[in-house]
Amino acid sequence: MLAHCTDDRKTPECSTKSMDPVEYTLRKRLPRKLPKRRNDVYINMKTDFKAQLARCQKLLDGGAGHKEICIHGLGLAINRAINIALQLQAFSQGALQLAANTSTVELVDDLEPEDPDEAGEPLTRTRNNSAIHIKVFYPNA
Amino acid sequence: MSGAKDRMRHKKMRNQPSNMTYSSSQEFPNGEGSGGSAGQGYSRSQHTKGPSGYGQSQQASGWVRGRQDGPVPRDEVLPKYITASMFAKARAAEVNSMLKAVSKTTGSSHVFGALPKHMRRRAMSHNTKRLPRRLRELADRMLEKSHHAGQKEKKEQSKTKSRRARRRHGNLLLEFNRRQRKNKWLETHIWHAKRFHMLKKWGYCLGERPTYKCYRASYRAMSSGCLLQDMSYYCCLELWGPEEQLMSALSRLTSKDTGPTFAAVLCVSGQREGNTLLYKADQYPHQPMGPAQFLWRPRNAESSLRQLWIWVHPTIKQELLSELQVVCQCFEAVSPPPSETPVEAGPSDQPSAPASSDLKSEPQHPGKKRKREGDGKEDKPAKKILGDGTRSPMTPVSWRSAENDIVINDLSMEIVRYRLIGPLSHAVLTETLLPATNTEIDIESTSSFWWPQHCKNKDSMSLHKQQADVFQLLKGVNSTSELPAGCVLGLTVDDPRLTLPKKRVTAALDLQAAQDVDEEQRRDLTLRGVPAPCAQTALWDQDVRDNVTNNRVLEQEMNKMKRELLVPGSRLPVFPQSRVPILLVHQAGKQQGEERRGWGSGWDLLLPKGWGMAFWVPLVYRGVRVGGLQMSLKHSQNKCLPHFPHEFPDCPAGVRFQEEQEVELLNKFKRRPPAKRTNYIKHGCLAPFRCPWQRLTEEWEKIVKQDGEEGKLQSAEMEGVISQSGEDTPPTSAFTVLRSRKVLRQLSVWSKPSSARNSRVPRGCLPTPLLNTASAMELQAQWRHCLVWVRVCVLGKGLPTLHTMLCVPTAEDLQQLRKDPRSIGPKEPRHKDHLQHLLKRRSKRRKASPQFPASEKDEGTPAAVNKDSSSSSAPKDNQDSVVTSTHPNLSTSISKGAESAVESSSATDLSDSCKEYVRGLWPEPLPSVSSHCSRVTLGWVTQGDFSLATGNGEALGFVSLTGLLHMLLSQPADQRGSVLVRNPTSLQYRYARLHVEA
Repeated sequence: MLAHCTDDRKTPECSTKSMDPVEYTLRKRLPRKLPKRRNDVYINMKTDFKAQLARCQKLLDGGAGHKEICIHGLGLAINRAINIALQLQAFSQGALQLAANTSTVELVDDLEPEDPDEAGEPLTRTRNNSAIHIKVFYPNA
Repeated sequence: MSGAKDRMRHKKMRNQPSNMTYSSSQEFPNGEGSGGSAGQGYSRSQHTKGPSGYGQSQQASGWVRGRQDGPVPRDEVLPKYITASMFAKARAAEVNSMLKAVSKTTGSSHVFGALPKHMRRRAMSHNTKRLPRRLRELADRMLEKSHHAGQKEKKEQSKTKSRRARRRHGNLLLEFNRRQRKNKWLETHIWHAKRFHMLKKWGYCLGERPTYKCYRASYRAMSSGCLLQDMSYYCCLELWGPEEQLMSALSRLTSKDTGPTFAAVLCVSGQREGNTLLYKADQYPHQPMGPAQFLWRPRNAESSLRQLWIWVHPTIKQELLSELQVVCQCFEAVSPPPSETPVEAGPSDQPSAPASSDLKSEPQHPGKKRKREGDGKEDKPAKKILGDGTRSPMTPVSWRSAENDIVINDLSMEIVRYRLIGPLSHAVLTETLLPATNTEIDIESTSSFWWPQHCKNKDSMSLHKQQADVFQLLKGVNSTSELPAGCVLGLTVDDPRLTLPKKRVTAALDLQAAQDVDEEQRRDLTLRGVPAPCAQTALWDQDVRDNVTNNRVLEQEMNKMKRELLVPGSRLPVFPQSRVPILLVHQAGKQQGEERRGWGSGWDLLLPKGWGMAFWVPLVYRGVRVGGLQMSLKHSQNKCLPHFPHEFPDCPAGVRFQEEQEVELLNKFKRRPPAKRTNYIKHGCLAPFRCPWQRLTEEWEKIVKQDGEEGKLQSAEMEGVISQSGEDTPPTSAFTVLRSRKVLRQLSVWSKPSSARNSRVPRGCLPTPLLNTASAMELQAQWRHCLVWVRVCVLGKGLPTLHTMLCVPTAEDLQQLRKDPRSIGPKEPRHKDHLQHLLKRRSKRRKASPQFPASEKDEGTPAAVNKDSSSSSAPKDNQDSVVTSTHPNLSTSISKGAESAVESSSATDLSDSCKEYVRGLWPEPLPSVSSHCSRVTLGWVTQGDFSLATGNGEALGFVSLTGLLHMLLSQPADQRGSVLVRNPTSLQYRYARLHVEA
């Protein structure tokens, strides 16, 4: 693989597969994008909380009139997703019901070698993160 | 007779010949020399005899012509007879003059001048039939004459050709070739020219933006749909040679500091496309040339030679080519094979890129061929497509080395490159392209087409199968940004025109296909990218490319076949010549910064030449939006990447761009009436149309030096600095842009405010040394005269525009910001336009003493005398102001000091510079650019706009490295990276946050 590697000093470093923070830069890739329905709401930490809450509220009682919406939260946003779902329920005076599911999402990190010419293959790491999917719906009764 | 009448008569008689006044003194000797007084008597009698009342009326009205002084009294007896000949002789002169008067037209010399006014008509000058017949001939002659005078012989000839003749294919091609003699057309030119504002740039005709409104829609396409661009104007240089030799040669052009080079492992294997920054040989970090994309051909079992494509912007191609020749020692020009040589033919004979493929099928149309021969043009050059704007047709395109085995080929315009941007570009591609089908047929038969021969090879077939499988897998990937950056997939596809939808459709994700895809394989693809062998494609081979280009099925034939289909609208069968080798290259999205990760990723589609339109229309039919140069600028701006050549002020191309931009802006400015122009002097904006980067870096260096040596030997030092700065400005150390990734990363961390949320250094990042004076000084010493490329986000209102100033906030400003985060910011006191003042005063003085036209000169001389004394003092004043300006509290007094200095210098310079003085602009020798205003200038914006992604003003620009470090050191930790921005046309500063992208 390193046929052109001229500097002998570097070879031992090439062989080390373990991640060394000096050697690599970490670049996180976006989580996998899935097809999205109209009543799917992905919660993030950048948008204002109130705005996201209002958006969900609008989906439930607006002209769209969805019977159920799905609130998804990943990682840090799990808290906020739960928060939003509970707030929705509280505002509806018990008309709404919640059904929560948890899952695990595989995320990909790229490790870019600091010295791209000499290092071995750039590493790709996968790690897992938790996610929550809350179904907020009007019971059929 | 009243005066008026007299005048009237005079006017009437003006054009009458003078001999109408028939003086008697002449008459007697000439006319009636023989007759004596008797002759006179006859003439008298005639009057009464002929027209009966004539004589009487003449006498009654007092119309006496040459008779008053005659010796004959009026009541003389009339003669008994007259001699006709005598009489006629005597009248001859009168008749002659009368005829003359009639034939001479009055007023203008137009024919219809002869007509009375009420008979003249407006259109007579164009349509002679409107004239009375007797005048027609004359008018015709004059009309012809005027036509001849106005037009040249040549133009007239083309005019005679009817539109039908002009639109005939061959003639149209000639016309097209003539029109792209200077600026070459891309293959999609005609498509673009119908829809876009075209620009003549870099030797090409390029679409800048569509004529319809689609700015926002194009942004939306980039972020959630698909935007298509024709990037074929980028130039491709091909290098052949043994890997070690190429590597050692190319390593001189790049530096590892700036990121991956040609030797990056993944790129060398051909699996990924790389981006790098090229410098002149062994000159890093000085003399950069510009960015380049490069692609290695995957290693081949048969040959040890490697093949490398380098894609660069057309403005740096020639430079790079000469540099490559130097590092590879390739000076031997290889003349192209004679069958293809276009050297003898003039440039007009070079067929255009879109046209050529049509031309080369001429043998099938014997009639057409004959016509071209009849034109006297040789049909040979039709074979070669030379649609390259960056070189003349005479220059060679290939160079070989005498010492080593490296060969350089210039492949500009040989390969078409389309760029698809946006998450849906994936869906568009999978929908448009279809991997070549029925590979098993006619293996035995021999064919001139490349694909059947290719099919015979078992290995290549298995490779094709593998590639097709990967391409199927791509359908399961929903977004372009999920793939590893820069991965490459080679493919052979069917002619996309065969599967062209009847109507324009919108590509969407195919959920069904996505579910069919094997999950395990898809995961592998997103993790590892396309396996290395799949990057191999026949597009790398010159022979295959030529074969494919020359055997393209014409649009016309395609339509004919469609017409003859049994079931209208059904799919055409695949012909053997409709397989095209292509290359798909993934383009990474936004990689730097935290927000909008992966924004603007997409695919590049590489095609053999001639096939441009065959792929373009099917892509457009899949509902992509097409963007021009404007959108590529916005794309890189949103991706936080510097755009070439706009944001490379240290490259020759960037310098040229800046000069052009300055001229353009200045001309635009001058077009306004002086009273309606923005007075940039009053706004304290020294250079609204350009950025004096060199001055900025030097001044900041001085500021910091002064700051460091505060106590010691101030006056003496200052003298030294001043004298030094006088000579220092020349080229000793031209400014550069900091591109070392390590340093940039350090700066990026330093320029972030250390609030609770951001304090956490992300794992995997380098532990950076803390920001302190020592580390800053070390950095400064290492990188002198450096600029740093920064992104600036306005915190509240405000929209930074081109050449907006980035300024250092004072301590009060920061306090104000802390107190009220939404405060609008400080205001610049209005500057005084001393020049206007001076000019006015002078003009007044000149008015007061108009008898001395030389006063201006007199004024000039004392000024010149003054200059000697003030030239030593003025820069000193400047220097003082620079020194003091580092203490923010004193900044207002500084600006005054600067102004006074400016005034003195401007007063002296005015006399010589007022000729090119443009009202509202500073005359040429600028005062200190950094400390001219109340806030010290740190840098300027090169690209500023309302960002549709963040919803407020965002700008990209450069700041001085020295200045940046100086500013960061003086700011409290939680407010690091706060700057002020001020537009050149405004006095209002706005708060903004500065980010160093790394």
